[in-house]
Amino acid sequence: MPHGNPRFVHGKILHNTGSGIFYRMEVAVPERIDFVPGQFAMVSGWPGNDPLLPRPLAIFRSGGVRGKAAVEFVYKVVGRGTALLSGLHAGDPIALTLPLGHGFEFPAGDRSWWLVGGGVGFSSVFPAAAALEEERADFEIFLGARTRDQLPPGEWIPGGAVAGRVHLCTDDGTAGFFGTVAAALRDRIDRRKSSGPSRVAILACGPHEMLKAIAEFALPLDIRVQVSLESSMACGFGVCWGCVTAIRDGEKSGYRRICKEGPVFDAREVVW
Amino acid sequence: MQSVTPDLTTRVGNVLLKNPVMSASGTFGYGLEFMPFYDISRLGAVIVKGLSLLPTPGNPPGRIVETPAGMLNAIGLQNIGVERFVNDVAPRLEDAGAVYVANIYGRTIEEYEAVARRLSDLPALAAIEVNASCPNVKEGGIAFGSSPEGLSGLTRRVRAVTGKPLWVKLSPNVSDIGAIARAAEEAGADAVTLINTIVGMAVDPRTRRPMLSNVTGGLSGPAVKPVALRMVWEACKAVKIPVIGIGGIQSPGDALEFLLVGAAAVQVGTANFRNPNACVEIVDGIRDFFVREKIFRLDDYRGKLLLREK
Ligand SMILES: Cc1cc2nc3c(=O)[nH]c(=O)nc-3n(C[C@H](O)[C@H](O)[C@H](O)COP(=O)(O)OP(=O)(O)OC[C@H]3O[C@@H](n4cnc5c(N)ncnc54)[C@H](O)[C@@H]3O)c2cc1C
Ligand SMILES: Cc1cc2nc3c(=O)[nH]c(=O)nc-3n(C[C@H](O)[C@H](O)[C@H](O)COP(=O)(O)O)c2cc1C
Ligand code: FES
Repeated sequence: MPHGNPRFVHGKILHNTGSGIFYRMEVAVPERIDFVPGQFAMVSGWPGNDPLLPRPLAIFRSGGVRGKAAVEFVYKVVGRGTALLSGLHAGDPIALTLPLGHGFEFPAGDRSWWLVGGGVGFSSVFPAAAALEEERADFEIFLGARTRDQLPPGEWIPGGAVAGRVHLCTDDGTAGFFGTVAAALRDRIDRRKSSGPSRVAILACGPHEMLKAIAEFALPLDIRVQVSLESSMACGFGVCWGCVTAIRDGEKSGYRRICKEGPVFDAREVVW
Repeated sequence: MQSVTPDLTTRVGNVLLKNPVMSASGTFGYGLEFMPFYDISRLGAVIVKGLSLLPTPGNPPGRIVETPAGMLNAIGLQNIGVERFVNDVAPRLEDAGAVYVANIYGRTIEEYEAVARRLSDLPALAAIEVNASCPNVKEGGIAFGSSPEGLSGLTRRVRAVTGKPLWVKLSPNVSDIGAIARAAEEAGADAVTLINTIVGMAVDPRTRRPMLSNVTGGLSGPAVKPVALRMVWEACKAVKIPVIGIGGIQSPGDALEFLLVGAAAVQVGTANFRNPNACVEIVDGIRDFFVREKIFRLDDYRGKLLLREK
């Protein structure tokens, strides 16, 4: 999929409403933004210089045509920036730099895609699900949360109505599988029908420990895993070198920018 | 009545800039990253990320943390090295029509010399900016930049190996900025640029750990502006060579303040992160201000701070 050039745009909030612990914010933008699932925006809406830096949010949806284009984000309030965002109303201005980073890759071939979202991590895998649904590809979704109330509403899940497609997991057993997403994935592997697509590919976004656990069990089974990593970011478009992580480079490793070469990396290359 | 477009050109030594706004090193990548946003030839100059003799890996993660109206960074000067810059980046900056300046650093004076020598091969390079002030690597120049003697030695040695205009970037982590600026001037600098970041620190009270892997980092952004402005003003009084003002500039008004206290030009750093168009918006804003105030030339405004008679 082509990764388009980033733009800096001034948008206007169309709606910004909470649903349980998640907010969904739709922003009118001057022109249509094409993006690859896993790509993100740097968002800053609040007036003044404090907090100073924009915040990265995955692009959840984007559509429309020039004059009627909009992008959508889903976020969870965890600190000052997201709290300020949650206080903005329809009609308020907001600034966006987007689309940014290198998103998920979808090599052709006979495979089943397993999309994994831990916590608010579903915000970057649902766009992947929407794209796969359009392609009529075979995919399943695994969602992990601490407890039932922290799972996204069922109607947000692209293609979620298909029986057997969505697997919920909670750390406290209040919904779906009792345990971590990594454990649920392992369980699913064991139950895999031999008649299904020959290969499985995992796309995952969520807490670092979750991504690490998935990589540890799936890579030895020769399952291809792409993970979307997080980091504090200042610029989001590769000019400050503030967001790096160690990535394997042959025998050695080097620091790569999560905002530019990532956020999505092949799990084999990540120095866990 | 037709309004006259004000003349924003400014001279930094013998470098003529079309306007006084440049990007600050380390906040603008290699310049090319901004080409999707705007035509980078519109800037007075593009200052690229600090270059070293060999590619440098930089510090481990935990490199940035936000602080009130500012941020701390300890990048550790990660960069592609001078050779790749000369071969891969410089030609593209030239194609883009940009006036560009290379910021350099070395672990030893010999490395500074080698980088400066290699860069002198680039006919289009407008100037070399010597980073004598990075607070985040032990050898990042701070050892040379924190005393007049150290700075004088470094400046003299680099001066001797290059015919390019030489700008020396000063550390604010000193007690007498005027003395430091004079040392650079006497050793042959064509201009001084200041301020680099102010050494700072942030810790997490719960985990009891520093927020940066390097423990300390450099403070930038609006939080440093009053300190930067004072130091630029003092440097302007201390030397005859041009002074380039940096520190917390976010808006045209901020840039005007530095010009008013005497800066020949300014650099914009951290502001680029939130608004990639910050530099060109500041150019346009300065022009609009001059039109409104009926100021025809930058030179009629620059250094015209009105002080009360004693
Ligand atoms: C590429 C990328 C895409 C992202 N997409 C989304 C998205 O679609 N939706 C979304 O809600 N978030 C997303 N995030 C995370 C989001 O950027 C952060 O939650 C946000 O920057 C926090 O800002 P703040 O000012 O609210 O919190 P801060 O004040 O910066 O942090 C407050 C506290 O929260 C902690 N914290 C920071 N981030 C998180 C986190 N993700 N989860 C839990 N605690 C955290 C910090 O360590 C700190 O202790 C993404 C991050 C990246 C790098
Ligand atoms: C992330 C980051 C990286 C920087 N890297 C360099 C560098 O490589 N060389 C240098 O001379 N200054 C470097 N600086 C300092 C800036 O050029 C500038 O002097 C400082 O940030 C103050 O300006 P500001 O408040 O506008 O950002 C860096 C600053 C930041 C924030
Ligand atoms: S956040 Fe600036 S380089 Fe990644």
